[in-house]
Amino acid sequence: MAKLPLTEQQLIEAYGPHLNEAPPGGWDAGLEIDRVVNTHCCFCGQQCGIKLKVRDNAVVGFEPWYEFPFNEGKLCPKGVKRYLQGSHPDRLLHPMERDPAAPGGFRQVSWDHALDRVVGEIRRIQQTYGDDAFAMLSGVSLTNEKSYLVGKFARLGLHTANLDYNGRYCMVSAGAGSKKALGVDRSPNPWSDIPLADVVWIAGSNVAETFPITTSYIWRARDRGAKLIVQDPRVVPLARTADLFLGVRPGTDSALFGAVLHTLIRRDWLDHEFVDAHTLDFDDAVAAVADMTPRWAADITGVPAARIEQAAEWWGSSATGMLLHARGIEQHTKGVDNVLAAINLGLATGKFGKPGCGVSTITGQGNGQGGREHGHKCDQLPGNRDISNPEHRAHVASVWGCDESEIPGKGIPAQEIIEAIHAGKIKGLLSICFNPLVSSPDSNFTAAALDRLEFYSVIEFFLSETAQHADVVLPGSLHEEDEGTATSGEGRIIKINAAVEPPGEAHLDWQILLDIAERLGKGKYFPYKNTQEIFEELRLASAGGTADYLGATWDRIENEMGLFWPIPEIGHPGTPRLFEGGRFFHPDGKARFHGVPFKESAEVVDDEYPVWLTTGRVVSQYLSGTQTRRIAGLVAQYPEPLCEMHPQLAERIGVTDGDIVTVTSRRGDITLPARVVNTIRPDTVFIPYHWPGAKAANQLTNRAVDPISKMPEFKVAAVRIARSPGHVETTDRRDLELHEGPS
Amino acid sequence: MSLDRRGVIWGLVGVAVTLALTFLGSDRLVWFDAALLGYLFGLIFAVFGVVYRYAVWIRRPPTAMLNRRGWDAFRQRKARNVAALPSLVATQLLTQGFIRRRSRTRWFAHQLVFWGCILAALVTFPLTLGLLHFESVGQQADRYQVFISRVGTLRFDAASTFGWLIFHALDIAAVLVLAGVFIFLRRRLRDPGAMAVERSGDFLALAGLFAVSVTGLFLTVSSKWLEGRFYSALNTIHALTVILGLMYLPFGKLFHIFQRPGNLGVVYYKRANDEGPPAVCRRCGLAFASAQQVADLKEVLPQVGFDYGMDGGGNYQDTCPRCRRVQLTLAQSARVGGFG
Amino acid sequence: MRYGIDDSPVFVIDQSRCIGCEACVQACMECGTHRGQSLIHLERIDQATTTQTAPMVCMHCEDPTCAQVCPADAIKQTEDGIVQSALKPRCIGCSNCVLACPFGVPKYIADFDQMMKCDMCTDRTSEGYAPMCASVCPSEALWYGTIEKFNETRSGSLLRDFMFGRQEVRTKVYTVVDELGAGALDVFAPTRSHWLDDPFGLEQEALDG
Ligand code: SF4
Ligand code: SF4
Ligand code: SF4
Repeated sequence: MAKLPLTEQQLIEAYGPHLNEAPPGGWDAGLEIDRVVNTHCCFCGQQCGIKLKVRDNAVVGFEPWYEFPFNEGKLCPKGVKRYLQGSHPDRLLHPMERDPAAPGGFRQVSWDHALDRVVGEIRRIQQTYGDDAFAMLSGVSLTNEKSYLVGKFARLGLHTANLDYNGRYCMVSAGAGSKKALGVDRSPNPWSDIPLADVVWIAGSNVAETFPITTSYIWRARDRGAKLIVQDPRVVPLARTADLFLGVRPGTDSALFGAVLHTLIRRDWLDHEFVDAHTLDFDDAVAAVADMTPRWAADITGVPAARIEQAAEWWGSSATGMLLHARGIEQHTKGVDNVLAAINLGLATGKFGKPGCGVSTITGQGNGQGGREHGHKCDQLPGNRDISNPEHRAHVASVWGCDESEIPGKGIPAQEIIEAIHAGKIKGLLSICFNPLVSSPDSNFTAAALDRLEFYSVIEFFLSETAQHADVVLPGSLHEEDEGTATSGEGRIIKINAAVEPPGEAHLDWQILLDIAERLGKGKYFPYKNTQEIFEELRLASAGGTADYLGATWDRIENEMGLFWPIPEIGHPGTPRLFEGGRFFHPDGKARFHGVPFKESAEVVDDEYPVWLTTGRVVSQYLSGTQTRRIAGLVAQYPEPLCEMHPQLAERIGVTDGDIVTVTSRRGDITLPARVVNTIRPDTVFIPYHWPGAKAANQLTNRAVDPISKMPEFKVAAVRIARSPGHVETTDRRDLELHEGPS
Repeated sequence: MSLDRRGVIWGLVGVAVTLALTFLGSDRLVWFDAALLGYLFGLIFAVFGVVYRYAVWIRRPPTAMLNRRGWDAFRQRKARNVAALPSLVATQLLTQGFIRRRSRTRWFAHQLVFWGCILAALVTFPLTLGLLHFESVGQQADRYQVFISRVGTLRFDAASTFGWLIFHALDIAAVLVLAGVFIFLRRRLRDPGAMAVERSGDFLALAGLFAVSVTGLFLTVSSKWLEGRFYSALNTIHALTVILGLMYLPFGKLFHIFQRPGNLGVVYYKRANDEGPPAVCRRCGLAFASAQQVADLKEVLPQVGFDYGMDGGGNYQDTCPRCRRVQLTLAQSARVGGFG
Repeated sequence: MRYGIDDSPVFVIDQSRCIGCEACVQACMECGTHRGQSLIHLERIDQATTTQTAPMVCMHCEDPTCAQVCPADAIKQTEDGIVQSALKPRCIGCSNCVLACPFGVPKYIADFDQMMKCDMCTDRTSEGYAPMCASVCPSEALWYGTIEKFNETRSGSLLRDFMFGRQEVRTKVYTVVDELGAGALDVFAPTRSHWLDDPFGLEQEALDG
């Protein structure tokens, strides 16, 4: 079915998002607590340490965890308010079945009934249309244990090849690029390397809003005299203090990197020794940038040539330097190219494997790093193994105790799963921690696809916009209700501790998967009694892979406040910095240069759609907002999307700040208030994507994907903008109280 | 510390008035109960202290300014302001909604203590001053009449509910106060935040209220259930706590009882100011307060030792609070690399 | 970490580093002395032209203007120089402090008819812990620690003298400047210009410049 049982409005009334404003009992309740639990924030890849205060099986507050080395107590607003996602009125407490006649559109059912129905539908669909017609979508809000389990569950329990995850929209371009060039998908550096860099170059990352804690690392470097370069179409908050700002036009990062490499070569700001000893294919890279002069790049990128040369000079002539990139250069049809072009700059100047040196992605999602290592990507097995590689398959089969042939082959990535659903090839879907209706490009298309499913079931803690389409809703667990490990953007494995038990009839996620597997007759592969047993198996399954967790034990992880993989043997200290001594992860130990020619984005502006659109995040919201749109303080900070545009553009279409505009692309349109600021390029508009339905920025975005990573092009689309009737005050609520005067 | 001369004079005036009241009220001491002499002493001390402190307080420049402006405002639209008075007294002074909006428990506790104290004061002070006494009427031993000075008023039966209430008024007050004190204490002990900003005086005030109430209740217990055993010892202890409590009144937390009515002046002041012109920020040009209050502050500030005048004319105090914060940031940023 | 009495940690505010994330605003609400009420200020300097934002906590003046203009004597300074929120029983809600504080700190909370202000998380600092805002601030625009630690890890010098017109004010909280030579921070000193005047090189720089 998978159609909404009631109207969107009715579903929102029943299941939220409602806003949780105060801790259980209210602000006045006093602060007596039973205990304090050391754990982590779940709202980005930095995985800040935090202490949760618990009373009567409810999280009632937090305390900074000063001793945790990564953040030393620091938190962004999401971390501060994270504890309010618990004890939430919207929390799903019972299994439910779609029933348009029931109030709220769902009726409460027993676990037995719900699970039998799910399993019955899986069987029916797989028998009728083949095993792969039932797909699974997962997410990296899950711990390593759950990610690993989902990978195994889909392959051995569901026996489908079609499993993929929401990191497909986040880190895959970085991962693919790193693997090609460096042989491994992990940040080369612990964050403690940032303060040691003489140049810090932030490319396509709104660090202040999406990785706020990294700001303090950058300042540590600057306090030592480091130069800060920021490359972004917007003067993001960190850029304001930069020494050099490269205001690139969306979709032209590889031109800019190319021109920098061109300049490095021309001025001979190269580390020849390093290039000769530790890399291959430099000539390819040189050939590709032969004509990429700064002057040429200036025309394409819109960045003055002098600034490009300045960047090259600082990068090329400094002893140490770190280039950090994120979705801004990765969410493109040439995302992998952009990453390769960035890595070229590091390789050419020998900036790898040394203190304060590295080119690194900043992992976005909560367990974006760990979650992409252990097998819930469509082409991957645990330990970052390749599902098409016979040796890798044999190893994993031996750990799983199955025949290698029982493990399905390579499946299709997330965006293609949605296309296959739309095309009627995939008929059934089970999802966990994924809200594609908000996060996938071209949301009208996604909605149409969901309507075509014969059966859809979700494991969720809140009824997300996608979950509203479900036939069966299985209430799972929140981050603070289960224990396990996660791996932060630094490659640091950390321990997540349970603070409370799942409320009502909600179950732990892993137990739900086990129950389904049992009913599918595959219980023998899932004999776990607790989460730790899953981790023990994960260690063995990952052993010998690049993401090798063999030596990591829960005790050590907890006592040493995290361990950096690879940890290939028991007692191994872990590997905070990769590539020391210039040894890369390819079998020959050498890194690869890549020739990166400049390509235009899949869609470019024209007379009909003359403005570039780029999308992104705001600091107070996380991904599709399933959690953060339910927390009052965070919602108040930035309640709804605004269309950021330059005064020159605003003047052209005749709007001023707060006027309502309609932004239209070839796929859809959105009507929202304009925010007129001269901190964005005049040819570009920016809309954050955290909202659903009529407020979804992804109504506009393009489904075109990177040929290698299959990452959709969230960062570039062509749009036209027109004024619509209406005006709202976009002024911040705080600014309002200021002039109310004191009486 | 030297005493403030005008404070002393006003204090003495207060004492004289109290004594005169006692003398006249008790019909030239005919009805004055000598057993209550200790209480009278405490009361006189309290009167002196409270009046002294009030006199000093009201003359501090900002207080004097507000006092003056409050009365000015009151007189300006007298009819309307007099009419508004009862409801203001009710909301600002009696029902105390401003506390309730902050915390219901705290409000509830405060109301208990507040009404308990009012009740106790209404009984104790007139009794002490001899303004109030009871006489038995006629032949019936349990029929009484209330006398205010020498004027006989109500008659009542001691066994009636009304009689019971009259004779147990102080017990009722003690129970109210105790309940409030317990809620306050519990709140404090459960809330580390409240503990942290606790001033020693806060606990002293609660301890005093507790002591007075408990010893008072013991008197009733003794006479009702212990056939008067320990009565005189208890009586002395109770008297002592009351006297000490009275003597503490001018110094501690409880002085707010006398300051709080100033809030009514503030309400009138603000209302009058809102009708006048606004102060406009010298930086952003937006209205941010009443011109009157900003002008008053500019007058008061030099009296308390500040000079916010700007070289080249104008006064810093004409900047709105938001622009003060903005301007500070811009100035600071200019001295670290010039971001901004 | 927990500081001892001898560490004498200080509060430092370096507005220029603020990234406007509002972690401080959210965390202030969690402070035990005024749960649910955020008392820190966060300004957007001029949203249309810059992403600059600025936090403002109470600077804890040595001679606090707010206390001096309070008609109810409701604002008290502790022995270690913390200027506390208005005493609840005393404050009569006149807003003199709100208007007179040179840093624009106290807030008049209409619902409670009271002034409330930052008290440097007395519940935390009195126990040796950093205030909420300075604990969480990701950019370290708000910072709490020993002067030695500051000098070891950060550039710039600590300053706590401010000029407002002719009035010089010394505070317990420090700010940061490059050079101390220029003396007290004059809030109406002219500001410097920066590349931000033309971030995209639209006017000053030709693309090939
Ligand atoms: S969202 Fe990220 S930066 Fe913010 S507190 Fe959580 S882990 Fe830290
Ligand atoms: S900064 Fe303002 S509120 Fe704080 S002590 Fe100084 S005058 Fe008072
Ligand atoms: S937490 Fe720090 S960076 Fe964030 S708004 Fe507050 S002062 Fe600024």
